[in-house]
Amino acid sequence: MIEVNNLTKRFGSVTAVDAVTFDAKHGQVTGFLGPNGAGKTTTMRMLTGFMPPTAGQAIVAGFDVFEHSFEVRKRVGYLPESVPLYRDMTVRGYLMYLGEIRGLTHLRDRADAALARVNLQDRADSRIRTLSKGMRQRVGLAQALMHDPEVLILDEPTIGLDPLQVLELRDLVRELGKTHTLLFSTHILSEAEQVCDSVVIINRGTIVAQGAPADLRSDLERGGRVLVRVNAPPEEARAALAALPDAKSVEVERDTLLVTPRSPEVDPRPDIARLVVERGWDLIELRPLAVNLEEIFLEVTQQNGAPAAAAVESEETHA
Amino acid sequence: MRSVFAVFKRELWLYFRSPIAYAIAFAILFFLGLLFNGYIAQANQRFPADSTYIPSLLTFLMFLIAPLLTMRLIAEETREGTLEVLMTLPMSEGQMIVGKFLAAWGYYTVLLLLTVVFHLLMVLVGIPDLGAAFGAYFGAWLYGGAVLAVTMIWSAVTEDQIVAAFLGAATVLVLYLAEIAAIWIAANQSTAGAADFIRELGLQAHYGPTLAQGVIRAEDIAYFILMIVGSLFITTRIVETRRWRA
Repeated sequence: MIEVNNLTKRFGSVTAVDAVTFDAKHGQVTGFLGPNGAGKTTTMRMLTGFMPPTAGQAIVAGFDVFEHSFEVRKRVGYLPESVPLYRDMTVRGYLMYLGEIRGLTHLRDRADAALARVNLQDRADSRIRTLSKGMRQRVGLAQALMHDPEVLILDEPTIGLDPLQVLELRDLVRELGKTHTLLFSTHILSEAEQVCDSVVIINRGTIVAQGAPADLRSDLERGGRVLVRVNAPPEEARAALAALPDAKSVEVERDTLLVTPRSPEVDPRPDIARLVVERGWDLIELRPLAVNLEEIFLEVTQQNGAPAAAAVESEETHA
Repeated sequence: MRSVFAVFKRELWLYFRSPIAYAIAFAILFFLGLLFNGYIAQANQRFPADSTYIPSLLTFLMFLIAPLLTMRLIAEETREGTLEVLMTLPMSEGQMIVGKFLAAWGYYTVLLLLTVVFHLLMVLVGIPDLGAAFGAYFGAWLYGGAVLAVTMIWSAVTEDQIVAAFLGAATVLVLYLAEIAAIWIAANQSTAGAADFIRELGLQAHYGPTLAQGVIRAEDIAYFILMIVGSLFITTRIVETRRWRA
């Protein structure tokens, strides 16, 4: 269980994370989604006790991360974004070293069990420097799993992996999510949609939307923009659609038209369908624009008046 | 305590696997051997060989050895990002730093024990003063600990190992040369009082005239221990604040 309440982190005059509030439930995968530099890593570093917050509160596995940092650290497995490892150690040696610092017993058995979990038993005696990127990622994950933590925090675990490895890792994340509180960050939207039970979207340090991927989608289906593709002269179609009572504006993008409804409560789709039929156009497509997280994300970040791309400016705060 | 021991074990093991540590050990033993050879030859039948010759030389050379031994300790973890993993384990900065320091001191202790060979040679050819030798070796051990702790501060300040080594060497030299600065200052009547103060701050005042002569004084032991504890405290604070700001 992770409960985050108005968590804020400032670096000098830059606010990297601004009053973020969300929670992650046990037995679920919670996706932490946002463009690069949105504040994902900073938030995770605060949750793992690596960095103290400037303001606000976070409860992880029942303990306040600031007041009882060690209690939290004992119960959290953390995979940092860059997967830092000691390259001169063997895989098993590395796990046993961190396990010993944690004060665990039966180090060898635990290390081997964690390696079996990530399917890396056969490389237990290899030096870490000889491993591929995907294997290193799994060593990092084994490290996070070794002490049977209640909470797993994985910072962009699929970054830099090949497609097959990404699929394997997603399966593992989904499986681990059933028995842990799993918070997992990504900037790949389709990934969050596939893996997560619940999604928190963060942009420029603030949360812009959260909920189950399906809920987010249905929220946006009502009141969101509608995509229309018809076989008709674009200018004529645009004018006709703009004349509908529920339409606020219509944009043309090549052969598609985007209809923005007058208010979030109205659904212009029935009217559009009727219009198309009356005019005798061929209807090719009629759907809410936001059908996957990619589009939801763009919609949400635009509604907030802060285009996603602009957030890249604050990228330095991660360094 | 277990985490301190775990860090100590790994770091000590790393010294015995590190080419730099072997290069240092080789250079020191070779250099000391050369000087020792010349010294013994010179002393032959002319004056009694001083059993504190080797440990005193070693303390002087520490301004070169210590930075090379400690430059890696924290700078490397910061640069590689492994500090982020370590500092999300249930282990405090202080525990990590004490473990690392003890490993450096442990390696230095091995180095110091190897130089006892020269003393044994002296025992073969003459009758050295055992009391003075004990004081000098014990003093060199404390002296080494203090210097290692001081140079380790720089490894926390910068992630560049070379910079850490240079700054460490400079700091130890300043502490070493406090003795000479004090002599200059003492030459002037009006500042004679300050001279003693500056002299006492330096490393040599607590080693050369006392421990190296076999005089074991509580104040000298306290000085070295305070240097160690103080430096480790500063290092801990630096790592903490870097993390808070990171």
